[in-house]
Amino acid sequence: MHTDAAPHRPSPSLATWLIACLSLLGAFALSGCDKPTRDVYQPVADSAEISAWFYHLVLAVDAVILAIVVTILVVAIVRFRKKPGDEELPPQSFGNMKMEVAWTVIPTLIVIGITVPTLGGIFELARKPDLNQKIIEVEVTGKQWWWEFDYAKEKLNTANELHVEVGTQVILNMTSADVIHSWWVPRIGGKRDANPGRRYPFYFRPYQVGTFDGQCAELCGASHALMGTRVIVHPKTGADSYEAWVAREQQQAQKPATPQQEAGQKVFMTKGCVACHTIRGVSELAVGARSRTSGPNLTHVGGRTSIAARTLPMTAQNIAKWVKNPQAVKQGALMTNLGLSDEEAAAVGAYLASLK
Amino acid sequence: MASIADFARAPAPTYHMARPPKTGLMDWLTTVDHKKIGILYGLSGLFYLLVGGLEALLFRIQLAVPDNDFLTGEQFNGLVTMHATTMVFLAVMPIIAAISNYFIPLMIGARDVAFPRMNAFSFWTFLFGSLLLNSSFLFGGAPNAGWFGYAPLTGSQYSGSGIDFWWTGLAMLAISSMVAGVNFIVTILNMRAPGMTLMRMPVLVWMILVIQFLLAFSFPPITVGLILLGFDRTFGTVFYQVSMGGDPQLWQHLFWLFGHPEVYVLILPSMGIVSEILPVFTRRPLFGHHAVIFSGVAIGFMGFGVWGHHMFTVGMGPIADAAFASTTAIVGIPTGVKIFNWLGTLWGGKITFPTAMLFAVSFIPMFTIGGLSGVMHSSPPIDLQQHNSYFVVAHFHYVLVGGALQGLFAGVYFYLPKITGKLLSEKLGKVHFWVFLAGMNLTFFPQHFLGNHGMPRRIYTYPADAGWNTDNMLGTIGVILMATATLVMVYNILTSWKKGKPAGNDPWDASTLEWMTTSPPPVHNFDFTPVVLSERPLWDHKRTPGFEIPVPETSESIHMPSNSWRPMLISVCILLIMVGLLTHLWPLCIVAALGIVAGVYLWVTEPA
Ligand code: HEM
Ligand SMILES: [Cu+2]
Repeated sequence: MHTDAAPHRPSPSLATWLIACLSLLGAFALSGCDKPTRDVYQPVADSAEISAWFYHLVLAVDAVILAIVVTILVVAIVRFRKKPGDEELPPQSFGNMKMEVAWTVIPTLIVIGITVPTLGGIFELARKPDLNQKIIEVEVTGKQWWWEFDYAKEKLNTANELHVEVGTQVILNMTSADVIHSWWVPRIGGKRDANPGRRYPFYFRPYQVGTFDGQCAELCGASHALMGTRVIVHPKTGADSYEAWVAREQQQAQKPATPQQEAGQKVFMTKGCVACHTIRGVSELAVGARSRTSGPNLTHVGGRTSIAARTLPMTAQNIAKWVKNPQAVKQGALMTNLGLSDEEAAAVGAYLASLK
Repeated sequence: MASIADFARAPAPTYHMARPPKTGLMDWLTTVDHKKIGILYGLSGLFYLLVGGLEALLFRIQLAVPDNDFLTGEQFNGLVTMHATTMVFLAVMPIIAAISNYFIPLMIGARDVAFPRMNAFSFWTFLFGSLLLNSSFLFGGAPNAGWFGYAPLTGSQYSGSGIDFWWTGLAMLAISSMVAGVNFIVTILNMRAPGMTLMRMPVLVWMILVIQFLLAFSFPPITVGLILLGFDRTFGTVFYQVSMGGDPQLWQHLFWLFGHPEVYVLILPSMGIVSEILPVFTRRPLFGHHAVIFSGVAIGFMGFGVWGHHMFTVGMGPIADAAFASTTAIVGIPTGVKIFNWLGTLWGGKITFPTAMLFAVSFIPMFTIGGLSGVMHSSPPIDLQQHNSYFVVAHFHYVLVGGALQGLFAGVYFYLPKITGKLLSEKLGKVHFWVFLAGMNLTFFPQHFLGNHGMPRRIYTYPADAGWNTDNMLGTIGVILMATATLVMVYNILTSWKKGKPAGNDPWDASTLEWMTTSPPPVHNFDFTPVVLSERPLWDHKRTPGFEIPVPETSESIHMPSNSWRPMLISVCILLIMVGLLTHLWPLCIVAALGIVAGVYLWVTEPA
């Protein structure tokens, strides 16, 4: 045994540890404190509510288990620390059958307690809606890196922003034109994969009017992070109602109102945009709506709140920036860079932004 | 009273070898000694731990602040893919292989593994596979489809040549793991010292045995998956091509049928290490020794029936979801049994806290947190929200970093003195422990909130107004702490190896056979074959009259395997086949295939 040279000197490392611990605690206090806009546990639809209910159930169970484990651990560490000089061996216990049985049976009961309601939840989420009620049914196609929403019954086609009605059952039929994507708007409900070659339904019924953001949740290539989506839940009545939106979207595109918009329409018609984009009433040449190469339908693009799958806010300038060089906004974007001049880009921006 | 000094009385054995031993670099390149191969695995694993950490550091810098442009999406995807692939296959698995290689023969009282040359073959195939995988950084970019490489993103129309390096590299690692699995199963079942019944085997040996079965049975599905992918990419087949009637979901099933057992491959050895260390530093036996073993075996078995819990969002239908939810929840039970037995071991002990014990004890709550969040996403209604979000990232880092890696760190402090003969610095060890613990919690705990607040994993950037800023910044700070702590460990290992305090044979007053021989052990491990009389042979030798390990008077004559370069020859040929596939140089493939045939012939006809 060597002796400690200065046993009474206040240890500088203690102060260091204290500061370290306090700053760590401070850091922890900060965590989870930003105001989230996509909180999974502030549901606005029945689907997210079911998820939240189960989360809170299991969270409570988990919290109790963790508290028990940590308490036993801390007490054991404090109580059974070896005292200096105490060289006697502790009792050599090899185990205890009763305790083994207890900590097998109790977790089993807990697991049953969680799993049985879970099975109910699985089937609840998969339950087909009542087809006699009003239903909004949308074909959702994920594409690198945007979302196509096709309302077959309403005969309208839009992109990235899904419009639905409060209180009305929604069926989204998910598929993909290329790789696997996953549609996730946390406050609406859990994510569902958009698989190429398959078509799976996702049911939900929103109960709160508002705008709710989400994005693709399955790695799908370079710009996976820029594949946003947005759900707009409309009220049942009024100027902002869902039906009013449908009626607006069903109209043909607006005519250009200024010379610049006129020029923009000409650029659209002559520079190659029409190969991939449709503007109803102007050009419907774009090949196969759900093919991998077709781009978003632009008939009412100015009525959306954002462009390029929620990458930029909807303004004429942003559209100009995008068409000038799509890959500069979104790495790998599948839209061709058509080599437009600044003037042409600005004109297209002005024209498209006017298509409310 | 008997002590381990008694063993020095045994006369040194005489040994005969087929060829004279080699020295220096040639010895390392042709070694078949399980201890040297263990050291090679350990150094490679440590190196790749630093590489994987560096990759994480880079993408955490990108994520520190919103709308950052430090990395592009493509670079970011490459780094996350390589980070995970590296950490799983090139860091944690090799460190586990290092411990298995070095210590399994010692712990069961054997002279080597059953097939020493196969062991060398596993190592070189692993090393060449890992180099092939990482060479992608130099030739056309890293693989970037995520560590589970979902089809069809890995198809040639969506991803570049990085994926070719990925599948060929992983295929080599798979070969290495399957061969090692068979080798260790045979070793553990057949080469135990007299008297070491299965139930007297140390828990760590048991857990390694279980994972060798997992390796042997879970790597075949992914190998098949990788070969199908290789065919799609190289020869234009359409196994995963929807447009031609293929099915990308096939990949998901093959991958996770491997992937879930694989996560147990990563955790069970650390559970074994913790089960070895806790008794030593509480001075009492492992509580419920048999229950800990049985629950480990149960976890291994059940691990094959739960893979669908990674696919709840795919749309398998409610019946499949219900089945996988139930099996997954059941895995929680044996996991809980282990945790409570570890607590039972602590309770009533006389506990001391060297660094190895600190890591082993902190394993318990950290792993528990990860296990409990695992129970959450076993429930599909919850998992639909948590899947592919940062919540899952938090889950698997608590089990992998807080669990698997901390267990391995505990193992480093506990076992390295046997390898180097020198103790590590306890002071640096404690700095390592506390800084690492702080860093990992700072990084991964807030990620639970990020997931709950809607942040998907693998996004290279995020907007400032989503409410994810603070938690991401904390995560980046935490990674810097973890990186610092790991460097402290590396420094500690290097300096102690050179000039640490001598460890002696049995620095911890432990109870298993590896501590009865010298540190480092001689080539032949033990001067005589120990006879095992209880499940704590060395403890009882030291303390229980009537249980002394008998020391023979006469010298044993032993046959030691000789160095051989033939295993490496076959590994090189496999590498050349992969290079041929990558570059479409078919003659190279054919020549290399003939090389394998020749290598096998040379191998089987070589006098061992
Ligand atoms: C009580 C035990 C556990 C349960 C019930 C459990 C459950 C789950 C579930 C359901 C998932 C899928 C989550 C999702 O993607 O939505 C998951 C993911 C994962 N778990 Fe666990 N887990 C447990 C323990 C472990 C252990 C011990 C490890 C490894 C040491 C582990 C490693 C992982 C990994 C790596 C993933 C994510 C894979 C990926 O998506 O990249 N888990 N776990
Ligand atoms: Cu799993």
